[in-house]
Amino acid sequence: MKQAVEAQQSGNFDQAIRNYKILLEKYPNIAEIHSNLGAALAGEGRYADAIAEYERALKIKPNPQVSLNLGLAYYKAGQLAPAIATLSKLHREQPSNLQALIVLADCHLQLGENKKVIELLTPAQKADPENATFNYLLGTALVRDRQTAQGQLIIDKILRNGDSAQARLLMGTTKLTVNDFSGALQDFAKAVELDPKLPDVYAYYGLALLATGDQPGAKKAFEQELKTNPNNFDANLQLGVVLRQDEENDQALKYFQHALEIRPGDFGVRYQIATVELAKGQLVQAQRDLERLVKEAPKFTEAHVSLATIYFRQKKKAAGERERAIVAQLNAEKQANSPALKAPQ
Amino acid sequence: MIPLLMAALVVRECARCHPAEAKPHPATSMARAMQHPADSAILNEHPVLTAQKGKYSYRIEKNLYTVTNGSASLTFPISWSFGLGDAGQTYVFEKDGIPYESRVSFFRAIDGLDWTLGASNSPPANLLEAAGRQMGTQDAAQCFGCHSTKTQAALEPGVQCERCHGSTEEHLATLKPMKKLRAADAEEISNFCGQCHRTWADVAGKGILGVNNVRFQPYRLTNSKCFDVDDRRISCLGCHNPHQELDRNDAHYDAKCQACHAGGKPAAKVCKVSKSNCVSCHMPKIEIPGSHYRFTDHQIRIARANDRYPN
Repeated sequence: MKQAVEAQQSGNFDQAIRNYKILLEKYPNIAEIHSNLGAALAGEGRYADAIAEYERALKIKPNPQVSLNLGLAYYKAGQLAPAIATLSKLHREQPSNLQALIVLADCHLQLGENKKVIELLTPAQKADPENATFNYLLGTALVRDRQTAQGQLIIDKILRNGDSAQARLLMGTTKLTVNDFSGALQDFAKAVELDPKLPDVYAYYGLALLATGDQPGAKKAFEQELKTNPNNFDANLQLGVVLRQDEENDQALKYFQHALEIRPGDFGVRYQIATVELAKGQLVQAQRDLERLVKEAPKFTEAHVSLATIYFRQKKKAAGERERAIVAQLNAEKQANSPALKAPQ
Repeated sequence: MIPLLMAALVVRECARCHPAEAKPHPATSMARAMQHPADSAILNEHPVLTAQKGKYSYRIEKNLYTVTNGSASLTFPISWSFGLGDAGQTYVFEKDGIPYESRVSFFRAIDGLDWTLGASNSPPANLLEAAGRQMGTQDAAQCFGCHSTKTQAALEPGVQCERCHGSTEEHLATLKPMKKLRAADAEEISNFCGQCHRTWADVAGKGILGVNNVRFQPYRLTNSKCFDVDDRRISCLGCHNPHQELDRNDAHYDAKCQACHAGGKPAAKVCKVSKSNCVSCHMPKIEIPGSHYRFTDHQIRIARANDRYPN
């Protein structure tokens, strides 16, 4: 055990793993060996194996630190739903465990559940208003949730400590929400310059480049994000969109499928996958996927549009006309709800 | 820059066997959808064009496009003119190999320059942005893809024979038939023309609502109550011959309407008000704010005053 721990502490995970496995042959029911093995496996980036060992350890003896490690392993493996389940349970049992709270909030942020992040972090941020991590995560959630005024208060707080990549990323995100793309681009470029390793920074830089027409630049930015942050949802989704537009359908599909692993069931990604199938001429598959999608999301206009296109290509006139009628109805509702579009002809 | 091929050479070649289609085509607006500035009648008729827009002054003189803010100025040679001025003529210039769309365009209705459609939505942050909008790769591909014809060898300005019918090379070598739309149904034709004029799916999918979508004719036509995917009489080609210039006389289209609305199609009602100039009532002309042009709405309908613009 001593040799295994020493190997692990010196970063020799491979040796540590071998030693822990030998120990487990003799003592299969000692939780500490399983959890240490899990940590060594995680150190090697073998998250699936690490998760299995942490779960074995917890089954033998519950331990909050092992639960946190399990949540972290799920988080790093991009399995956000089980990460949230594990960390939520831990957060309920140990509300003062700030690491669990921060990782839990970041999981929700990655899933686009901004309101949940705000709900989780607002009390913690009030209790510790100068905590830079709380401020950054809460500010990001507020800005993404379009609570711009509240978000700005947090950005100002961050800026009081001087210009930083985090502040620039938040400022740029705020500008993106009001379609100030060139302004956002300048902030993201500065954020990239200040801290190119900041999670999400290249993904947002890519979004601004895409919005300002620099598709090749956006593609590089998304690829850059995925080098350090392979589970970034936006980078996977948008890189897939760019590749689909370049007719690299198989490559696009790879990124869409990974985006779907990060956010299972996401309507937008499922729609993109169907458009790839459509582009590849896989009409039956695309039809099946879109029919399922509009059943779950009946107001998803683009999905109805693509479905109509498929029906007409298959000479299914009545079905195509039905979808067109749905689109007309959905657009009429949008028009009725938009004062600018209500003007008489 | 892609080498420029004289479109006339290809047209002449096509005209040897297809004179009825190829001979009138070079005079059409589509064939002149993009021109070298030296060939632009507007630029030739207006040796100097100027406009003051906010703090920026614009001047087009001898194919040179200049923008000034009082203390600094930028001048670019115009690479191409897009459009013929009715709905605007916009200029494309290059900086460091990247194409830019001019922030001002020429409009016949005012005989001068005004904001390019959509340009007033994003105030320029600097002089270069005041000069024009950087065109993204996808954007440039779409603009040039519709305003010019890419052949195997070169880029021909305007919509020429090969843009719709495919490459002439194989056809001339083998005399195999080229792409024909004669057998296509209304839906297929709408999607074909919609490659440039925007299909129903393009517009409906992007949710372009309100009068801004009036210029996307295939989308509007598809939304018409009388549109029938199987019936060629309601297709783009049912009314328009792309080999000839657009006929702007309302009466020209009466026969097209009456092909169905005079007993030719049982479900098609016969108008009680008039038997002529159908389109003047049923296809109203609508102006997109800032376009200085009234587009014919291709959503054929009974249009009543003060009705909301239907999507």
